Amino acid sequence: MLWKDRYELGVPLIDSQHKELFKRVDAFLQTLRESSSWDEKLQRVNETLDFMNGYVVEHFHAEEAYQKNIGYPGFAAHKKIHDDMVSYVLHVTSEFKEKGFDEQLIQQLGGKLLAWLINHVAAEDQRISAYAKNAGGRNS
Amino acid sequence: MTYNLYTPFLEATRNVFMLMLDLSDFSDCPDTALDNDGELDISIGVTGDLTGEVIYRFPRDTSLNIVKIMSGMEIDAVDEFVTSAISEIANIISGNVLTELAKDDLNCDILPPVLKESSDKKTSYCIKTSAGNVCIDVRLNRAE
Repeated sequence: MLWKDRYELGVPLIDSQHKELFKRVDAFLQTLRESSSWDEKLQRVNETLDFMNGYVVEHFHAEEAYQKNIGYPGFAAHKKIHDDMVSYVLHVTSEFKEKGFDEQLIQQLGGKLLAWLINHVAAEDQRISAYAKNAGGRNS
Repeated sequence: MTYNLYTPFLEATRNVFMLMLDLSDFSDCPDTALDNDGELDISIGVTGDLTGEVIYRFPRDTSLNIVKIMSGMEIDAVDEFVTSAISEIANIISGNVLTELAKDDLNCDILPPVLKESSDKKTSYCIKTSAGNVCIDVRLNRAE
């Protein structure tokens, strides 16, 4: 899962958080897809879930604060996308623990995260950047 | 009604493939060109002013190529991971179409992607890309 320069919004804090998300999700996917046993992967899977539940929320809050700061008109719709993703990760985490660390569930999470994150950064977040540039928002 | 709806779905598919996969060469192809072996059929239910479903047909090689492009990893089987990633792409395309339709006062919601075990083939429109072909079967009607 490669970071591409065209994903950059020009907002240093948001860009650095996006890069960190790509790095963490990529490491998570490498773990999921490697040939080691599920028991060996489990600790790193749990670490990633803890990270996702913390860092993703932190990043979304930072991104939402930036949107408010520049008066981004798509704020409400974008926040709903964030909230839905947080709910999904929380739901999967809870189900994962209840179901006894089911691998199939986590493979599904990995697939969705892969596509969701690329689309979110490559398409959804680019609208924020486009608005900031076109409407004279502050890129800070 | 259904025929005209192919345009936004095909357009959204091309846009998503460009943005997410860096694909740029698209052409139409007949649905008979689809290799059904290991095909993933993902259904997205639609409710609201339009009701029904849209089925995205991803041949095995297309699914594997798409996930390889996104992940940078060699993928050799259509498993839960691949199915989930492809389902999310179908979800993203459908969401984008609904945003466009809302501009024409057609307000709809989509349901979570569902993997169809097998589906009777009706009219499909297909796009040929360097990652493989993908076909779309729009089965939507105006709500009464």
